Amino acid sequence: MKKGKKFSFMSLSLAMTVLLAACGSGGSDASNNTGESGTTPDNEAPPAEVEELTPEEGAMLTIWDGGDQKGFVEQAAAAFEEKYGVKVSYTELGADKAMTQMVTDGPAGVGADIFAGVHDQIGQGVTAGVIMPNDWFEEDIRARNSELAVNALTYEDILYGYPKSVETTAVFYNKDLIDAVPANWDEIKEFAATFNDTKANKFAIMWDVGNGYSSYPFFGGYGAYVFGNDGTDPTDIGLNSEQGVEAAAFLQSLKELMPLKSSDINGDIRKSLFTSGKLAMNISGPWDVGSLKEGVTNLGVGVYPALPNGDPMKPFSGVKSYFVNAYTKYPNAAKLFADFITNAENQMKNFEMTGALPSNTEAAGSDAVKNDEIASAFLAQFENSIPMPSIPAMAQLWSPMEAALSDLWNNGKDPKAVMDNVVEQMKSNIQTGS
Amino acid sequence: MSTGKPQSAGASHARNGTILSALFMGLGQFYHRQWVKGVIFMLAEVISIYLIIAQFGANLWGLVTLGDTPSRMEKVGRLYQNVPGDHSIFMMIYGLAALIYIVLFVLFYIGNIRDARAVGQLRDEGKEAPSFRDTTRHLLDKGFPYLLLSLPTIGVLFFTILPIMFMILMAFTNYSAPDHIPPKNLVDWVGFETFKSLFTLKAWSKTFYGVLTWTIIWAVVATVTTYFGGILVALLIQQHGIRFKTMWRTIFILPYAIPQFISLLIMKNILNSQFGPINQYLGMLGLGQVPWLNDPFMAKVTVILVNMWIGIPVSMILVLGVLTAIPKDLYEAAEVDGASGFQKFRNITMPFVLFQTAPILIMQFAGNINNFNVIFLLTGGAPANGDYAFAGSTDLLVTWLYKLTLDNQRYNFASAIGILIFLIIASFSIYNYRRSRSFKEEDMIQ
Repeated sequence: MKKGKKFSFMSLSLAMTVLLAACGSGGSDASNNTGESGTTPDNEAPPAEVEELTPEEGAMLTIWDGGDQKGFVEQAAAAFEEKYGVKVSYTELGADKAMTQMVTDGPAGVGADIFAGVHDQIGQGVTAGVIMPNDWFEEDIRARNSELAVNALTYEDILYGYPKSVETTAVFYNKDLIDAVPANWDEIKEFAATFNDTKANKFAIMWDVGNGYSSYPFFGGYGAYVFGNDGTDPTDIGLNSEQGVEAAAFLQSLKELMPLKSSDINGDIRKSLFTSGKLAMNISGPWDVGSLKEGVTNLGVGVYPALPNGDPMKPFSGVKSYFVNAYTKYPNAAKLFADFITNAENQMKNFEMTGALPSNTEAAGSDAVKNDEIASAFLAQFENSIPMPSIPAMAQLWSPMEAALSDLWNNGKDPKAVMDNVVEQMKSNIQTGS
Repeated sequence: MSTGKPQSAGASHARNGTILSALFMGLGQFYHRQWVKGVIFMLAEVISIYLIIAQFGANLWGLVTLGDTPSRMEKVGRLYQNVPGDHSIFMMIYGLAALIYIVLFVLFYIGNIRDARAVGQLRDEGKEAPSFRDTTRHLLDKGFPYLLLSLPTIGVLFFTILPIMFMILMAFTNYSAPDHIPPKNLVDWVGFETFKSLFTLKAWSKTFYGVLTWTIIWAVVATVTTYFGGILVALLIQQHGIRFKTMWRTIFILPYAIPQFISLLIMKNILNSQFGPINQYLGMLGLGQVPWLNDPFMAKVTVILVNMWIGIPVSMILVLGVLTAIPKDLYEAAEVDGASGFQKFRNITMPFVLFQTAPILIMQFAGNINNFNVIFLLTGGAPANGDYAFAGSTDLLVTWLYKLTLDNQRYNFASAIGILIFLIIASFSIYNYRRSRSFKEEDMIQ
């Protein structure tokens, strides 16, 4: 009797369990369907013959961009809303992080509709399928932006993104402490001999030596390269070439100028030393113009000094761009906004507000930009820069490079061994990723 | 029909019920004239068969193949469109859900057969088959806890077991950036390839063994230092003749009361070896600079020191509580016997404290293996290490895992490491717990 009841109640509770489970997985089937349609934008795109791109009904856009761009993006969003009636909300996520975030968030349907990025991440984004090609405005964008910017945003013959600004690094200097950026490193060493005082934290020149982007000008200047000569060959890494080792050795020899550990130097410390008059030259990019102008009354910007062999240094350059999320629910509205916020007028606004260098030829050629000492110095350096490679393997450069710079600078290791190790690490990381 | 005859003729009830139920759920119950139960069972089978044919077949197929058509961009006129394809990761999840459902269904089917047989046996013994009302009453009465538990069980299955299975399975795929991120690309099963790379590829194995060694050293040292530091501080505060006990307690608990997000980031700046105040003061005293976070070895020492600063208050509070629970007469008796202060500490205080806190010690150890905050906020894994792939000198397995997933999207490697971390923590914890006296002598203190 007891046994029978035990079985019957057990099986009844199991019955309920299964029925509930049926409901439960019924629910997950439903979410399966909605999930798929959610990740696939309803392609109500206008047929080819439609002449005008109009935003979708009830479109709401989100944009990711860095904190320094907040004011600029918000004013552009307000103007866009007035023109098209589409609301755009801003979320802070810098151009350096947005692409990685989008690779996870985009397909899941929670990414921004438009996000800022730098052209070197295109390969990564395209391989992950999160960037929508620039189709509707392609010719227009090509016509009104600098060739270099457009080429940087072209990957395997397709144009991605809407260029907003170009950037590279150059030497900020405090005119109260030094008249101009010296022409070569010997002169910098002479100046440092009179200026440096490590105990009082006074330094002639400083840059984020541990950062691959900031220390690349030495390698670029000596003629080392990352991925082949045009930056597209992941099997040809030229960082441990004769030139690369020479660059590493020279970089190492500069420690007398900056007798610090690489990890003790960061952007905040450079900024605070520079604005308090303890640092004469601070190597950074246009993104720092706004905040440095506030702190230093006589701010100047000059191109990099020449290397001992007489060659100029060649920093990496990047083209900042807005990308449209391939999974956006409102592709038309997103494209319209990306185009709107990168037009000549808005690029000028961005230049005025944050010092971002226009990629738009009309804006770059305007008197306001030409007469701006700082902007023209950056544009001069831009002429002599190397656009970062944009293949997916590019993502594997930074962390081995950081470790190598730390080995060179902090531990004084042999340049040849260090550079061989970088190449080996990168190759191994590229290999396990594919 | 044949009631009251405990004969061989009746023995067929059990057999008939079993066979009928095995043929189709609920048939055996109908045979026993348990109509309601039979209908429920039959309904369950009909629904399940429908679901399996209509939906789960495809889901299981997805779990096995992980999809065959990637999504792509296609140009229509002037505009690109996203043509959806198979999303390997979603397919894996739905496949797992289907699998769990099918396992449940099989279990239920077995339950149904056993139920029919048991009722048949009852009838063979000449008793009435329990009516639906009997069953319900029994269910609500004796089976009530099971009934209540069935709901959370479903929740646990789909929200705990399923994600864990999903994470484990990920280690056996090639789900990683840049070439295998769905839906643009498909993910494939690769078996033990990831584990093989982790152990044999030079860059990965070097990182793995290096980080693993440091993780274990860190977990042991961090646990021991904070634990004994806490005991020491608590004993000092509890000493006879110490004044302002509350003040001391407050001062020592402060580091724990400040959110680590703030205190550790401040610590990082304080420990900057050129511009940080500590080295500035050392310089003023004519002492050299200490490379707190710059030298791989010093950085490890520094994180342990900073961790003591954060971790000692917790142990202190714990031990203060235990100390008040030790019967005073034990000490009085010891005094009568002429025990020294150290003897009292060794033979009374320590056994008590150890006994009470041993399980927590094990938890702290397990927690320290995964102590993400201290490492991530204080050093971020720095100083960089040229021999490691995606990790720095002070990275623990868990911060390495973070870098692999969030910064580099190497989900397969991260998942493999996650499995290994689990194995390490589980085995250490079980071993330690079984050896601890709290486990062996559960009744020492009542």
